Amino acid sequence: MNYGRELLKGNTDSLLLCLISRQPTYGYQIVKELEQRSNGYFQFKEGTLYPALHRLERDNLISGKWQILPNGQQRRYYYITERGQQVLANRLATWQDFSTAVKSVMQTETT
Amino acid sequence: MMSIISHYVNRFKDSLHIDQNIRDGVAEELYTHLEEKTQELEENGLSREEAGKIAVQSLGSPELIAQQIYETHAQGSWKEAIFSALPHLLVALLFTSYYWQNIIYASIILALTVGIAIYGWHRGKPIWLFPWLGYYLMPVVITGILLLSLPQGWGWVAALIYIPLALFVFIHIMRQTARRDWLYASLMLAPMLVTFTWFSSLGTVNELLASDWMARLHTNALWIVISFIALAGATIAFIRLKPRRYKILSLLIPPLAILLSVTMASRGHINSLGWLMLFFSLSAFAIPVWMQARAYQ
Repeated sequence: MNYGRELLKGNTDSLLLCLISRQPTYGYQIVKELEQRSNGYFQFKEGTLYPALHRLERDNLISGKWQILPNGQQRRYYYITERGQQVLANRLATWQDFSTAVKSVMQTETT
Repeated sequence: MMSIISHYVNRFKDSLHIDQNIRDGVAEELYTHLEEKTQELEENGLSREEAGKIAVQSLGSPELIAQQIYETHAQGSWKEAIFSALPHLLVALLFTSYYWQNIIYASIILALTVGIAIYGWHRGKPIWLFPWLGYYLMPVVITGILLLSLPQGWGWVAALIYIPLALFVFIHIMRQTARRDWLYASLMLAPMLVTFTWFSSLGTVNELLASDWMARLHTNALWIVISFIALAGATIAFIRLKPRRYKILSLLIPPLAILLSVTMASRGHINSLGWLMLFFSLSAFAIPVWMQARAYQ
């Protein structure tokens, strides 16, 4: 089992919510942004993105809207909902506590 | 020649059995994603064909994405599951309380069923609609059967006028439902199979209003109630389960178990018209599942 991949899998929803909360965005942009912001650490499996986005939309954490670009191309932009913002805030707080706790334990182990 | 991207998107659409609007929306998203990635790779010097291949590979199996999207959208809420099971429970209630003999209660339930079915049909055919639709279709079919039992050949005259009209309505609704998902057609026809199973096993159509037939209905009322409660349970399981194979099993087992046990218990009391009704309802119920199995192959 790849530990890094499992960690990413467990946190995909939070990462997506976080990116969408910064600005409305669309599928392909999300993949590129995740890779860019993590300096290539998150090699997101592109096929898993859309089921994850639709799951978040079903749970009313984000909402998708089609937009027509000036060149006539269509894109589905995702927006974070009020409920999504609350869930993201909770997850960020939990993540902070968790990461602080893990850091203190790991640092004790390594010193 | 079809492009690699269009081929990929078509494979995705063929594997996904959900609301057509949702399916087309996700397919459009995948198409846009693939087009954008292809264009970007082309700008980096790759040929259109190579770029398309890489874009498709990076998205992965379209069947796997379809399965994951299906699992997101195919599971109805508890509210939808209970509302879907409600018509079966109402029929069970009719027999528990012998309300079916009271024309007012029976008419209220019939009007409620028809009203809800029409409402759901015009409100985007939500998942809860299909069992209601099954009961909505039942009077259409039963009227045709009753017409056949009219005396002195009048039955056939009336039926010849009525049957084409009834078949038109029946086939139209079946086609529309199957277009949404083959399994919903079976979900819709499950109550018809159970009702006809009981109908056939209790005696001939000519005896339908005779007191003996009514007495047999009374004697079997408890088992009829249990059958419809089992159907309600199967419907809830169908709506709530995520994997498609479990949905198929939950849909098939209870009605077929009822059919087998009731026909075996009737010990050959079923006449030829009864067998014809059973054959018709069993075929109509099983064909969608068979089509589904063919689609998997």
